[in-house]
Parts: sequence; C-alpha cells; structure tokens
Amino acid sequence: MEILEELGKRMVFFDGGMGTLLQENGLGPGELPELWNLTRPELIEDIHRRYRAAGADILTANTFGANPIKLHGHSTEEIVTAAVNLARKAAPSALIAMDIGPTGKLLKPLGDLDFEDAVSAFARAAAAGEKAGADLILIETMSDTYECKAAVLAAKESTRLPVFVTMVVDEQGKLLTGGDIPSAVALLEGLGVDAIGLNCGFGPEQMKKFLPQMIQACSLPVIVNPNAGLPRTEGDKTVFDVGPEEFAAVMEEIAKEGAWILGGCCGTTPEHIAAVVRRCKDLSPQPIVPKNRTVVSSFARAVVFGEKPVLIGERINPTGKSRLKQALRDNDMDYLLREAITQQENGAHILDVNVGLPEIDEPALLRRAVMEIQGISDLPLQLDTSDPKAMEDAMRIYNGKPLVNSVNGKAESMEAIFPLVKKYGGAVIALTLDENGIPSTAQGRFEIAEKIVKTAQKYGIEKKDLVFDTLAMTISAGQENAAVTLEALRLIRDRLGAHTSLGVSNISFGLPQREHINAAFFTMALQNGLGAAIVNPNSAAMMDAYHAYCALSGSDGQCAEYIARYSAQKTEAAPPPAAGEITLLDAVVRGLKESAHAAALKLVETQEPLDIINTQMIPALDRVGKDFEQGVLFLPQLLMSAEAAKSAFEVIRGKMTVNGEQTKKEKIILATVKGDIHDIGKNIVKVLLENYSYDVIDLGKDVPPETVVDAAESGNVKLVGLSALMTTTVANMAETIRRLHERVPDCRVMVGGAVLTPEYAKQIHADAYSRDAMGSVHYAQKLFSGE
Amino acid sequence: MKETQEVLRYLGYRGKPADERTLRTIESCMNELRAAVTPRSLSLLLPVEFDGDTVLLGTLRVESGDLRRHLSGCGEANLFAATLGTKADFLLERASKIDMSRAVILQACAAALTESVCDEAEQKLSAEAAKRGLFLRPRYSPGYGDFSILHQRDLLGILQAQKKIGLAMTQDSMLVPTKSVTAVIGLTAEQTTCHIAKCMGCESLNCPFRKD
Repeated sequence: MEILEELGKRMVFFDGGMGTLLQENGLGPGELPELWNLTRPELIEDIHRRYRAAGADILTANTFGANPIKLHGHSTEEIVTAAVNLARKAAPSALIAMDIGPTGKLLKPLGDLDFEDAVSAFARAAAAGEKAGADLILIETMSDTYECKAAVLAAKESTRLPVFVTMVVDEQGKLLTGGDIPSAVALLEGLGVDAIGLNCGFGPEQMKKFLPQMIQACSLPVIVNPNAGLPRTEGDKTVFDVGPEEFAAVMEEIAKEGAWILGGCCGTTPEHIAAVVRRCKDLSPQPIVPKNRTVVSSFARAVVFGEKPVLIGERINPTGKSRLKQALRDNDMDYLLREAITQQENGAHILDVNVGLPEIDEPALLRRAVMEIQGISDLPLQLDTSDPKAMEDAMRIYNGKPLVNSVNGKAESMEAIFPLVKKYGGAVIALTLDENGIPSTAQGRFEIAEKIVKTAQKYGIEKKDLVFDTLAMTISAGQENAAVTLEALRLIRDRLGAHTSLGVSNISFGLPQREHINAAFFTMALQNGLGAAIVNPNSAAMMDAYHAYCALSGSDGQCAEYIARYSAQKTEAAPPPAAGEITLLDAVVRGLKESAHAAALKLVETQEPLDIINTQMIPALDRVGKDFEQGVLFLPQLLMSAEAAKSAFEVIRGKMTVNGEQTKKEKIILATVKGDIHDIGKNIVKVLLENYSYDVIDLGKDVPPETVVDAAESGNVKLVGLSALMTTTVANMAETIRRLHERVPDCRVMVGGAVLTPEYAKQIHADAYSRDAMGSVHYAQKLFSGE
Repeated sequence: MKETQEVLRYLGYRGKPADERTLRTIESCMNELRAAVTPRSLSLLLPVEFDGDTVLLGTLRVESGDLRRHLSGCGEANLFAATLGTKADFLLERASKIDMSRAVILQACAAALTESVCDEAEQKLSAEAAKRGLFLRPRYSPGYGDFSILHQRDLLGILQAQKKIGLAMTQDSMLVPTKSVTAVIGLTAEQTTCHIAKCMGCESLNCPFRKD
C-alpha cells in the first residue's frame, strides 16, 4: 500500500497511545520507553497487534525518543531496528511509521543545542527507520518550529520516505515557543512535507477548535491525533477522562470538517481507535481547497500578501550607509539589531537583511545576522544576497519561510535559486530582467515574468510563491521610467494574477529632496497594484503615504489605524521638556537619553570632540560611577546614565570619524564562559566599558575557551573579562584562564559573576576580580594607564 | 507591591527607596511581561523514603544530606517545575540590545514573576495537601546545599517537563528557558515553621540579594 496514493480516497487511521499502555505495564517515570523494544519486545508487539486489529492503517513504531541525544549511551540504530521490526512482525501488511519526537533539548539561541546537531541526531534516527523498513516518517509532538524544521530537513535529506508532521499547541493555539498555526503551516508547506496536523496536548473537543485555523491555512492533508482528554491521577494511576465512544463521536465531526487522517495520542487505547474506525471508515474525505496564498513566516507569525500592502524594511543593507558598513566590518551586530528593532517599532512587516560588502565573508556574516535578528525580532525576514552559498546557508538556518531576494529571468539565476526554494521553502522576489537586460516596455517585463513562472513550475514552485519586482528606475535618467514600471505592475496583477514588489526609492536616484518623489511614487504604485514595498519605515513621509493610502483604499477598516496613529502623534509632538536648556553633563548624570543626544549635537558644532569627552562626558560618568559605588544611586540609574552617554557618544564619535580621529582606546574582550547562558552581567560591563571608550569585542555567551584564546591572540588583546553565573561553569572559566595565560601570557584576565568571590577568583588564577561593572572600569583604567 | 519590593531587592536596593523613574519602569516591565508570557507549571506526587543520607523519591535516588534534612518527617513530596517560557528570554535579549537599564529591570521583574508563579502553583498544591491534613515544606531545588545540580536531568525527565511545559536544560544542567524553577516540595503531617527558608539556609552570607 502506497500511503500517498491512499490519501483522499478514503479515511486513513493512525494507531493510539503507546506510552500510557507501557506505564500501565510498569514503565516508571523517567524511564525510556524505547528501551522496552529490547527488554519487553513481546509486550510492544502485542500492543501493535491490538491496534492493527482495531483497524489502524498506520502503526507507529516505538521510536519517539530514539535519537542519539535522548538515548545517550544506547545505540539509536539498534533500538530503531528492533522497534520497526516489532511493528512489522505484528502486522506485515500495515504501514509502519518511524516515529520522531523532540530531542528534549532547546535549540540555540534560547538553549544550547546547535541546529545542525539537531539535524544530525534526527537524520540518524530517520535513516535507521528507513533502513529497517519503515514506510513513512512521523515527526510528532513538536512544540518548536525550529526543531521541527531540523527534523524535517533531516528526514528529507537522509530518506526518501513521505514525511508527516504533527505539532502540539496550547489553549491559545500557540506552540510552546510562540508560533501560531499559520506560521507553522507556512514553514512546513515550504519544506515540502506530505501531511500536517496536531497531536497530544489535549482531547478531541479542544483540538476541534483549532481545526478551522489549520484547514484555512493548509493545502495539505490534515492529521488529528488527540489525547483521550485530560490526564488526572487516581491513586497512583494516571487516567484520562474521554472514553472510546465519546472520543470517536468528536473524531467523526473532525473528519467531516476536513481531516483526512485520524488517530490518537496519550491515553488512547485500541478501543478508542476501534470506535473511531467504526464511525469514520465509510466517510468520504472532504476535498482539499488549494489556498493559493502568498505567505512568508517567522517562528512566531505569518505575513500574507494581498490583505494589505506589505512593508519591507530596507535599512539593513550597507549600500550607501557608511555607519552600517563600519558596523559590519567591526562585527558590531548590536548596531544592526537596533536597526531591526527600530524598523519593527516603526511599522515594518518584514525586514530585508543584506550584509554584502567587498572583502567580507558574506555567507558567515549573513548566517550570523539572521541568527541574531531572529533572536530579537519576530518579523519574517527577506534574505537578500547575490551569493548563492550565502543564500543557502541563511535559508537553512532561518526559523520560518523566508522571502528570498532575489531571482531574475536569467537562466543562471533561476538554476541557482529555484532548487533552494524547492528544498527550504520560501517566496521569491523575481526581478523582471534577463540576459538581455531590463526591457524598456511594460510588455517586455511582463513577458519575462511569464517566463519565470513557467521555469519555476518545472522546479515544482507555484506562482503563489513568486513576487514580481517590475524594477523602479530613476526618472532622472528617463522620464517614462515611472510609467513603464507602473504599467508593468498592473499587467502582472491583472493578467498574471501574481503579487508584486518594488524598491521604491530607486525612482528618485540623482534628484534632490528624494522623499517627495518617493512618497508620491509609492502612492501611485500602490494604486497600480503594488503588493509589497521595500521602503525605509523610519521615514515619516513614506509611512504617511502608506497610512493615507490604506485609509483611502479601504484596507484600513474604519480608518482605525490611521486615527490611532495620528491622533496619538499629535499629543506626543510636544517638545521634550527643556531639552535645549540642559548641559550634556547634566543630561548624562540624570540619565536623559534624548537630551544627551541633543546636547551633544549642539556641542560638536562649536567644540572639539576630545574636549567634550574630557570636560563633559568623563566627569559625568565618573560622578555617576562614584554615586553608584557609594550606594547613592543604583544599577538602573547607573545604566540610564550609561545609555544617555552612549547616545551622546554616537554623535561625538561620528564627528571624530569625520575628523579622522581615533574614536576608541584599547581593545577588551568580553565573554560569558562556556556552558553559561546568562549574559546580563556581561552586557552591563560592556555598556560601561564602551562609555569609557574602550573597544569592546563581545564574544557573547556560552563561549568555548579556544574561541576566547583565539580572539585574544589574533587581536593582540591585553585584557579579557569573563563572566560566570553558576558554580558548574566556573570550571570552564578556570580552563579559559589557564589557556589564556599559556598562549597569550601578556593578556590579563578579570572575572566577575554571581558565584565568584575574590578568593575564588585567585584560586582559578584570574588577574583581577570585579565585584560590579564599575570595578571592571577601574581595573581597565589601572591596567592601561600602566599604574 | 510585594513583587516590586522583590524586584528592587534583585536590583540591589537593599531596602533603600527607589526613584520615581525606576518605579515607573518596573511597572511598565511587569505589564510587558504579563501581557507576553504564558507561565506554565507542573508537579508530580511521589513517595519519599530514606536510606542513610540517600533520599528515595519514587524510584529516584538522591544522595544529599541537606535534602534528607529538608524532607525529614515527610512521607511524600511533589516534584515541581515552573517556567515563564521562551518569550521572557526573547524580551530580555531584545531589551539588552536597545536599553540595558530597561534590560536589568526587566530581568529582575522576570525573576520576581517566576517566584510569584511558583508561589501561586504552590498554593494550589498546599490546598490539595490540606485536604489530606498535610502541609508543604518550602521548595528545595537541585543546586541548593549538597543536592547536586546534576539531578536537574532526573527531575525534568520524570516530570516530562520538556514535552509538557517546554522546560529543558543545557549540557551544564542550566534550565532553559532561563526564567524557570525546579524543586522538591515535601509534604508533612506537622506544620513546622519554615526551618530552611531559602535565604537563611544558604551559605552565601555575602550575597547581595540576601534577605536580612
């Protein structure tokens, strides 16, 4: 029986719970159920046989936790082989699903499991399952889209089996890591799985509530495997409150609403499955309606094209931005992350990420930027690179279905990009140009779009996953440029039925006061069907045009957003109190960020940057530091001042760069040691050291000793600050210090963190102990002044 | 109010009054957290037995004199776990990129909120226990005294904490999401005063967060 052939022709049935039945037979809490494939094979085989007799088409091998991470010590291959064989022996004609559950660990950056390590662990399990004769892979009980992506990639890369995926949601319909059903469906459909559904969590009644969301988002067969209601303890036994008939009655409703594949999870028994099969086996599966939605997603949310014009923030792109270029060359990710947050706060729906610069390792940098941005923003990303290697690496580790920027009508471009989109999923920006350049007519651009659609189909990529960019070119080079672009937008919308996108501001290149042209052109493009715009969301003119358009076109219901935005803005527009009056020194001492920035802007017009630092900044910082040490003010206030100083330094250092002056002093490496994932202490130290103009190289958290040593050696760094929070990780701190002293003898090490004491610091051979952030500043000053 | 005091204690105020702006930020951070996170907890009641300094919690053997003393007189104990979830860590990471002052306050708020979540869950356990005429001992966690942090793995495994509430640990036995707690909570027939309250029982006499 070919499972994919059967789907849709008749209802297909999974089996029910395994763990609960094993517990009834004495499996203790914390004991690995998979080991029973070896120690209690007759019991496992018997359970499979009973499910088959109940009418299950698919028997789930007892391999839920059979991966090298969970089994530590036992052989994945041995256990998987035994498990699949037992199911096969119990029912030679049934379909056997290789069951893959979560690793039990949390992936980076939230936890410490590397994405590729997760992929490898799942790949070993999946490959063993196929080798042992499984007919399909069931990835189930997934509560994290990222881990789910690792498992699907593993299954697809290491086997040729169909892949079914079911996830767990909570009462709000959210995954434990925050994703909703539409975002998870977008990711999984993009990855090309064969069926999607829900399992575990709760009983059929509650699961039924989330079925409409699933059916509305999904164009694939839907699986529903609920628990037998909620567990409760009776004496020392766990019992579930939904009996077989009650369970089956709800499952029948679920089938009638459109699920094709039914089964059970915790607490369900062969009796539950038998009842479901009796009631549902003669139902006809409801036909699937293809959704034809253009959608991209992050780990948390989906953005659907066509509902409202989509805004793609353009600020993370070094072209023409010297400050960002500098940040990228300095590996200063914080600057880039702040750009991401600001754009989100200003209303971007998607963020473009482009880090391409000459002489830079673009694949490594783009990968890092994507990892870091998805750690602080839940917006979907548009991966923007012309380097196919960088694109693949970024698509692989992206936690969602990305927008891919871009492909074009050249054969070479399509050959490079379409296979990646097929494998990893994504919607693609398709530029309407090809080997012959950019057609000068709208019709010419439309024809390239048609060609791209046809070629994409050969790769199995649907038109809904193509977003056409009809190329805005500056009107300063040809007045008809705007008209051609706009007409092409209309043609593609009306005749091709596809969505469009534009890099709007290109229209005004070479003209003065570009925003006037950009905003007007933006409105015109929206009126001509533009579906997504790559714009600067920090530009008031562009956002005004956008909100006005949405209100005028009816996509902003009752002008609610317009009213909320502009009636609120009026009250906030009042000038900040006495902003111009206050000195820079005062602003820093009082921790007033905006005032400090304003005061610095004023001062740099008349004074030398170094004078400002010496007469205003340093005295202010010293005073605040002293008050902090004397207990007059406290950590939040110290840091308010530090943030105010930072905003002033942005201005002052900008001026120094223009003057060609050195903006920073000695280099200092900061790292939270290996195994330690709490980095707030280190981040506090960093802000203060930067205030005192030290050039801080932040290696982040959970940093292996060799990384610290390599960075100190290659950067010729004379001071390293290490932080550790737990007693368990102080050993890693000691090891880092030992290696630093061995390989970089002239480098000093200062340490800090909750568990450390001066004695403890001495014991692990640190050169200095710092009891708080000011302590590290004092030590750095002492060291570098040669006292 | 109690929570605000707790937040200020984490921020090192040691009972001194806080300025208006810090208090406002605490309130705003608390609101942000409450709106964003979905706290979850779970527990499992197990029989307790002793064998010298070995404590038997169901089938789990723990070598710890401190835990034995803490559970003395208890015939049962709850294994307990609670977490604010990944969203709290996400917000902390985000805040630390824009404003460290807000980040430290948010971090203290998240810690205080974790305590509140534990306290609320504990009240329910306490009510359950009261029905059987039993009282709860204070929470005692892996890493306290000689109760090895390596038992984190056992507690999470027995509770199926990853699957049920998304609580996992790192290789070095640190809980992730970070704003999380695991603990053993003994049940006893006598209502003893809290003889090892968390701070008083701790050996870190110079800890800046110590309650006086």
